[in-house]
Amino acid sequence: MASAASAKIEGRVVRVVLAGVLFAFVAGLLPATADAADRLVIYSGRKEKAIKPVVDEFTKQTGIRVDLKVGKTSGLANEIRMEKAHQRGDLYISTESGIVEILTKEGLLDPYQSVAIKAVPADFRSAAGTWTGISGRARIILYNKNLVPEKDVPRSIFELTNPTWKGKLAIAGTRERTTLAWATALVAVKGETFTRDYLKGLHANDLKILTDNTEVWQGVGRGEFAIGLTNSPNYYLARQANLPVGVVYPDQESGGFGTPVNPNAVAVIKGAANPEAARKFIDFLLSPDGQRILVTQDYEIPLIAGVDSSEVPPLQSIKRTAVTAQRLADLEEATLKLLTSLNPNW
Amino acid sequence: MTQAGPLTLTPSSSLAPASGWLAQIGTFVLLAVVGLLVLPPLLYLAAAALKAGELGAVTIGSLVGLAAMTLSLATLATIWAMLLALPLAWLVIRTDLPFRNLCQWLAVIPLAIPSYIGAMSYIALLGPVGSVNTWLSSLIGAPQQWVNIYGFWGGVFVLGLFTYPYIFLLVSAALEATNPSIEETARSLGESPLGVFRRVTLPMLRPSILAGGLLAFLYALSDFGSPSLLRVQVFTTAIYHQLNTRFDQAAAALLSFVLVLITIAVLVGQQMLLHRRSYVTITGTARLARPLHLGRWRWPAALLVGAVLGLSVFIPLGVLLAQTGSVGHFLEVVREQGDYIKNSLLLAGLAATLAVILGLLIAFTARHTPPRTDALLSGTIQIGYAIPGTVLGLSLILLYNTYVPWLYGTVGVLVVAYLIRFLTQSVQGVDAALAGINPHLEEAARSLAASPWRVLRRILAPLVRPTLFAVWALVFISAMKELDATLLLRPAGFDTLPVRVYIHTVEAEYARAAVMALLLIAFTALPWMVVTRLREKKLV
Repeated sequence: MASAASAKIEGRVVRVVLAGVLFAFVAGLLPATADAADRLVIYSGRKEKAIKPVVDEFTKQTGIRVDLKVGKTSGLANEIRMEKAHQRGDLYISTESGIVEILTKEGLLDPYQSVAIKAVPADFRSAAGTWTGISGRARIILYNKNLVPEKDVPRSIFELTNPTWKGKLAIAGTRERTTLAWATALVAVKGETFTRDYLKGLHANDLKILTDNTEVWQGVGRGEFAIGLTNSPNYYLARQANLPVGVVYPDQESGGFGTPVNPNAVAVIKGAANPEAARKFIDFLLSPDGQRILVTQDYEIPLIAGVDSSEVPPLQSIKRTAVTAQRLADLEEATLKLLTSLNPNW
Repeated sequence: MTQAGPLTLTPSSSLAPASGWLAQIGTFVLLAVVGLLVLPPLLYLAAAALKAGELGAVTIGSLVGLAAMTLSLATLATIWAMLLALPLAWLVIRTDLPFRNLCQWLAVIPLAIPSYIGAMSYIALLGPVGSVNTWLSSLIGAPQQWVNIYGFWGGVFVLGLFTYPYIFLLVSAALEATNPSIEETARSLGESPLGVFRRVTLPMLRPSILAGGLLAFLYALSDFGSPSLLRVQVFTTAIYHQLNTRFDQAAAALLSFVLVLITIAVLVGQQMLLHRRSYVTITGTARLARPLHLGRWRWPAALLVGAVLGLSVFIPLGVLLAQTGSVGHFLEVVREQGDYIKNSLLLAGLAATLAVILGLLIAFTARHTPPRTDALLSGTIQIGYAIPGTVLGLSLILLYNTYVPWLYGTVGVLVVAYLIRFLTQSVQGVDAALAGINPHLEEAARSLAASPWRVLRRILAPLVRPTLFAVWALVFISAMKELDATLLLRPAGFDTLPVRVYIHTVEAEYARAAVMALLLIAFTALPWMVVTRLREKKLV
């Protein structure tokens, strides 16, 4: 009897505790939903690892607090399109320029010009003034040093249709915007027929289409593939992970195709609640402090003259494929159709 | 759970409709709430799908291919999950298996491991350059690929491993609740043990096997993480692909709509299977089954159970632990990212509590509505479970940002998304428990002029209380793991544990990802542990 009564009391205590916990839950949620209005909201397709240090330094210097939402470049662009009626983000950072051109066409971005932006080479910023490049990444051939002897290392992406590479090639699918930009640059410079034949050649070599660039550099680094087509920072990431990789900036001979350099782009979202803070952040990104952090954090190529690129080859040393962001945006849909008609996995 | 007693096999009948204008208003309000919750995203999806004039890469051929791939993946994963769950449940509940209490608790842990994390650990282990291949190759001194987890069979393997607890939970509860005397009688009449299982136990377990199998099947159908990681082309990965490369959402909407139609077909099929026969076996007093002595089969059985738990609990946890690096690093990450633990717990706790309250009200109301309204109500709620998270996220952004802007941009919209996705778990659970209660109990109370509210509070709710706690834990677990919709709908600066795992994984910071994954698993499993402990001590 006594134990039954004590169990009953104990049961009541437990219920009171549970109710208290529940109340704390609800009370704890409220602050998270309030006071967001005075903060700069950044939608970043750029990695958190690369952008967070810049954000922290910005807050330290200006006192402006920042809410960071990190996601896929394309997913966040979709979000901006869906949020058109009432924009939640102030600033958008993408990993590639075609997508900000598309958002410009849809009237979702707010133009901004400043002295800092004018220092960026003209082909790495918007003609309409809606976005600017903040750093760059080159398309590279990444190879596994244990699987590819030095004398056999390909110097051109067009060598990869050679049957010796059958079953040894990997690339990320077009959900990585930089892959789509690379293929679109091929269509823009070499024409659709040439590109189709070239891609068919890669498919004849069993080119493996992976989910993202991380899978590419890890697959190559660990020896699942001998060769990967990816972006320049991934070479340094693989080396940092002590993987036996080498890098080639392909087609650099004079008159050659060169290699596309994609800017990471930044833009103010039209209808932003804090456009002033957003513009300040852009200028900070392009300031010596911002550039130093951005470039060293993730081995990116500085676009502004005078910024030390440390071990990354500087922009001037790379022969770039000659194509504008506007042209890439115009040809994107056709390129996507071409790719998916060859293989649905693109 | 253990209220068994003098056996009655009464065909269950539907109750008289609720009378009184108050009850009718209640029903109406509830219908309106559910309708407003689930229907807008569905209608949006249908409208967007109908607008799909040009479909880009989506052809009829590829649609059929996708459907075949998706259905065979989900079917085989469910069968694999049943093969894992049934022997485990029977051994744990009905025999003198060593450590059976511990095993019963451990068997639920895989639910706390999101399938994308499970897939990640198996890729590290069984991938083309995973530990096993590396080790075997170093043994013979030449690189060679022995196993490859990537592809269809890897997908089946992983999905089954992390969904079998749905079946295990329901089947073991049913085994506890059904009266063993039927089986004992059959045995005394000369039926062999296998015969008893096949002809007596299995038919009694059919509803719970089907219900658990349905949960596993629907999970496999709508899962994105593991098929995408394991490179299996299914509906969800195709939808993601359409959404992320081209910005015309028509194709994604069409694909999602087909997936929803498939789900409806599955649900209708399940209803038809279930409604053919149903029994009420729960009555008043309790009687526990005497465990069957396994004799010399005791240790082989323990080995089998150990293998299942090894594959689904110890191996993934071991791989994660190995990836976290030093204890110092672990603690540093915990200190740095403690806020996200709070975010996840708050959100999942709120969603689970609301889901239980709504679930109880809905299931109770459904008992008193005409069967057709009941089917419509529960069907609508179930469809919410089938909308892929990414698509649901995008449609909620559009709908809530346009029409309910004060809710959007707060965690409220996340709670809405979780309710749409997981309310069915609560409704199904409570409904099944209520169905087991003899309708005479309720009729007696009603004849004594008790109001429906009083009947629910004083008679039904206490009787199904164990189920309410189990259901709370189930929704909590699902909400803790949710990634796809959260990724889109979270307010800037409000990340949850799965979002952190995702971000660190994408950025190839595996040590951090592993720490966050372990925290996610621990905090998902914790409430389950607390609920079971409290129930054992009869405190709740």
